[in-house]
Amino acid sequence: MNMDSRAMEAVNSEQGRIWKRFKKQWMLHLFVGIGMIFLIVFSYTPMFGIIMAFKNYTISEGIIGIFTSEWVGLKHFDEFINDYQFGTIVRNTLALSLLKVLFTFPAPILLAILLNEVKNGAFKRFAQTVSYLPHFISWVVVVGISFAFLSTDIGLVNKALLRLGLIDMPLDILTNPDYFWGLAVGSAVWKEMGWWTIIFLAAITGINPSLYEAAKIDGAGRLARIRHITLPGMQGTIVVVLILTIGSILGGGLVGSNFEQAFLFGNSINNPTSEIVQTYAFKVGLKDGRFSYAAAIDLIQSVISVALIFSSNYIAKRISGSGLF
Amino acid sequence: MNQGKFKKTLTASVAVILVLSLLSACSGNGANSGNPQASDSGGGSAKGGEIEELSLFIDMPWYPVREWKGPVAEKITEMTGVKLNVTVATDDKQLPLMIASGDLPDLIFTYAQIDRLSDSKLSYPWNELIEKYAPDFKIDDTRIGIHTMDDGHFYTVRNSFATQAELEQNKYAVGSDGNPGIAVREDILKELGNPTIASLEDFTNVLAMVKEKYPDTVPLVMDKNWIEQYFIIQFGIDAYFENWYEQDGKIEYYLKHPKMLDFFKFMNSLYRNGYIQAENFAHANDLIDDQYATSGKAFAHSQTVSTADKDNIAINNDGGDFSFKMLPTALSKDAKVVGTGLGFAGTFITKNNKNPEKSIQFLQYLASDEGKKLTMFGVEGEHWTWNEEGYPNLKYDPSDADFVNSNGIKWWYLYNDGITEGMLGYKPGTQTTQALMELKEIKTSKPAVGMIQTKPDSSEKTIKTKIDDMIRNEKVKIYLAKTEEEAVQNYEALVKNAENIGLQKLTDWANQTYQEKKDLLK
Repeated sequence: MNMDSRAMEAVNSEQGRIWKRFKKQWMLHLFVGIGMIFLIVFSYTPMFGIIMAFKNYTISEGIIGIFTSEWVGLKHFDEFINDYQFGTIVRNTLALSLLKVLFTFPAPILLAILLNEVKNGAFKRFAQTVSYLPHFISWVVVVGISFAFLSTDIGLVNKALLRLGLIDMPLDILTNPDYFWGLAVGSAVWKEMGWWTIIFLAAITGINPSLYEAAKIDGAGRLARIRHITLPGMQGTIVVVLILTIGSILGGGLVGSNFEQAFLFGNSINNPTSEIVQTYAFKVGLKDGRFSYAAAIDLIQSVISVALIFSSNYIAKRISGSGLF
Repeated sequence: MNQGKFKKTLTASVAVILVLSLLSACSGNGANSGNPQASDSGGGSAKGGEIEELSLFIDMPWYPVREWKGPVAEKITEMTGVKLNVTVATDDKQLPLMIASGDLPDLIFTYAQIDRLSDSKLSYPWNELIEKYAPDFKIDDTRIGIHTMDDGHFYTVRNSFATQAELEQNKYAVGSDGNPGIAVREDILKELGNPTIASLEDFTNVLAMVKEKYPDTVPLVMDKNWIEQYFIIQFGIDAYFENWYEQDGKIEYYLKHPKMLDFFKFMNSLYRNGYIQAENFAHANDLIDDQYATSGKAFAHSQTVSTADKDNIAINNDGGDFSFKMLPTALSKDAKVVGTGLGFAGTFITKNNKNPEKSIQFLQYLASDEGKKLTMFGVEGEHWTWNEEGYPNLKYDPSDADFVNSNGIKWWYLYNDGITEGMLGYKPGTQTTQALMELKEIKTSKPAVGMIQTKPDSSEKTIKTKIDDMIRNEKVKIYLAKTEEEAVQNYEALVKNAENIGLQKLTDWANQTYQEKKDLLK
């Protein structure tokens, strides 16, 4: 009896301490809690659905069918890999993603450095605003605008080039498969470059100005200062953004939107270069109602993405000493 | 002190509830699948005076009528005691998602999901409801045969269907807009000296003249949904794209038709000669071709039998001073159309229906002669009177979409047939009627071929979808080939691809199904 009550007391005081701490931090816990609920409900719970990639799920069975339908192993994976378009689709996805990272990743860094070197405050602000505004236009609208500029018979660009005598035939930029990757990369740079410049400009702002002053006294020119002070000062930010970019590379990297571009710019003529894994999964999944098959396709893509994020983190750690985790 | 604990419990329980509610959405499907009596206990007593409001989902995003109002709807409510609360789909993925989540309305009107909804887990079989609540609702054997599933039940009957015999008996049932046609500019034709167009060759010659004399005019613009059909007919090919045809009792896929290569070569020549634009195959919607036509930028416009009438109305409204006229429906002696259609869309009474009794009686009324005429032509006396010849004298122009839609004429054809619907197209003197009558002359009907329908989630369905998707992607390469040799190569590659996907297996299955099903129609 005595022993028991002493033990109870110890437990109580232990619990009391935790409660006291909890009470002090309850607001913080609330914030974390809401985030956790969000993740559990919208990110973790739906993950059960992945099992349908290994099953023969049909939508008329309802959600319960995800669990009750028959197992078919790797049938859907096999089917995708043996699809006549498999090679083309994977090539397009990788090519589009790599090209976008190659061009859209350095662009905002360059623009940030350029803007940083502008001494005229009004012009700098103007240039920054103009360059980040396209970020707020949705892809549907961007594609609509591009029709007005690029289509072969009403497009302004084609009309201007024809008038200037630079071309004899209108350029079929929107339909020719050879132009699609360029079109996608170009429009992505135009739309997102200014937005990502903001984060790099913030990194530059964090660099101690006395470094520049010292370099100037030592006789460093503008390019030397950029190379030896601005770039190293941005290194941490660049690495973090690069890792995030590579993690989402199959979605289009930091500018995202591989799906939107392939779906909206894509048509039956440029299909040989515009069909990517996501658009394909969307078509077979929702249009044909083959959820299992679509889940398998997306799962393959997710696995590649996870592999990419780990390897890029590993490489970043080896090279620069800093990584995301 | 208690506050923290309360919060924690609250958060935890909210999380659990959210997770549970996500998972339990599935039970909606099973919970309501009891027998009919269980869910309509109030139905019998509501018969007569009270008005039952039922929800209807229309699985067609383009549906022009979105509300249960206007004289036709009011009259139907008066006659049946049923009022509809209408929802029109936002896109073609909405209904599949509703089926998956078990969130179904009382009634569904669809053409795309007929096979999927013909399932005792999702819908009430009509035959059971008719036996129980509407014993005098008579449906003919052909229609029942077409819609009977492997479980012996039928769950809907499509509208817009007519048998060969029915069509022969009713010469005024000329058909509907859903048939191909090409309209050409009358004024340009006149300036060219009115050359006769009586064959495909004549037509391409005229296109060549247009291209030479009017370099800024597109010789031929095509609606994205009506690219092939008109020419398929002229080549005497028995089936449109994605359909089967029958030859000496054997079923083959359209792709294997002996004339198919000639057809592809012809389409390719249209492009190589500059009569059609490559961009035509990239049209994002079916309004772009209309704009070409009505703004005077195109000479010929390929779409449906009503193209000339529709374009002329639009040109008139814009104050244009030119007009279109239809080409003859048959431009060659080989021309033929084989109707394998089983009708257009059907209504389903879902397992969630709160009053199956009223629902089937509602459909029974729509299926009566009075109901069919009311939905198709409008209120008798107000909108039409019966001509003793055997067709309605309409007091309005059926091409006047605004009038038709605002009065709710035609679109409540949740149950109807090709004969009554076909009479709405009969308006003596219009180009549409003329084209439809020409079409009727070269048309034969083989509904048994239409009975070859792949079942949802079956391996045949997967093969067929894959082949169709593949052809949709690859056919453009044939049309837009730089030389005829390249076109032929691409065609051969296409056929080979289809065979790799499993065309032979699919054809075997189709033949087997055809043998099983064709007796159902006898």
